[in-house]
Amino acid sequence: MYYEEINVGDSFPTLQKDEITRVQLVKYAGASGDFNPLHTVEEVGEQAGTGIIAHGMLIMGMAAQGVTTWIPRKNVKKFQVRFKKMTKPGESIEITGKVLEKKENNIIVGEVLAMNSEGEVKLAGIFEGVLPSKND
Amino acid sequence: MSNVNDLVGLEFEPYCFEIEKGKIREFVQAIGDDNPIYFDMEAAKKEGFQGIPIPLTFLQVIDLWGGYSFQEKMEKLKLNPVKILHGEQHFEYLEDIYAGDVLTVSSKVINVDIKKGSSGGMDLITTENQYKNQHGDLVAISRNVTVHRH
Repeated sequence: MYYEEINVGDSFPTLQKDEITRVQLVKYAGASGDFNPLHTVEEVGEQAGTGIIAHGMLIMGMAAQGVTTWIPRKNVKKFQVRFKKMTKPGESIEITGKVLEKKENNIIVGEVLAMNSEGEVKLAGIFEGVLPSKND
Repeated sequence: MSNVNDLVGLEFEPYCFEIEKGKIREFVQAIGDDNPIYFDMEAAKKEGFQGIPIPLTFLQVIDLWGGYSFQEKMEKLKLNPVKILHGEQHFEYLEDIYAGDVLTVSSKVINVDIKKGSSGGMDLITTENQYKNQHGDLVAISRNVTVHRH
């Protein structure tokens, strides 16, 4: 993928993720080391008034998978998100993205969104990548 | 706590973490990311890496397995764990980071904002982490905004 082939407004292919399960939250807790009990322990979810919710960073991980599906991991230089809504087990997340801006030095800036099947946005992010040029 | 602004400048003990291939694989499996560069050396080399790279959000693993636990961090910040949410997360990648690298992380609170809304106030606490590899190179910077609801 070359810098010249990317245009502002281009959309990337949607990444559809499998439905989030409680087992996945347990796996993510162990893999990431985020043992906040709000993600795995029913009683704590009730105490917080939210019920069990998915790790925000799991959803960011899915968004990162989207970004590195669209442009190679090697080329990604910045990635930031704002968490908008909580995600519960049973929800299915899809990741969409588009090109917002092309800057000097072969930099592209893109938007990435994670939303559930009803279109509720869970996180909104921005990524920056440096792509090779055909002129290099 | 008396004044949440007092948190600005608070430094955490530096921590160290050796990145293992198996941990990277466990992490991408939990996310369901099947990109072969994270477990197949040939695929990683084909993309221009010299080893198995870390996924974009793997820096969190380094923080939580190498540094403070969630509970310890809440105690250090004097925050009620059931009142907090993750507001924002920023990552900047300066150099490639590979399985086998040993990263040392320095971490401190760089900003506190207090917001008042109709449904009550909240504190926004920004922590910045700097990641150096075993050669002393700064390889990544992250910033985390924690929301503490009053």
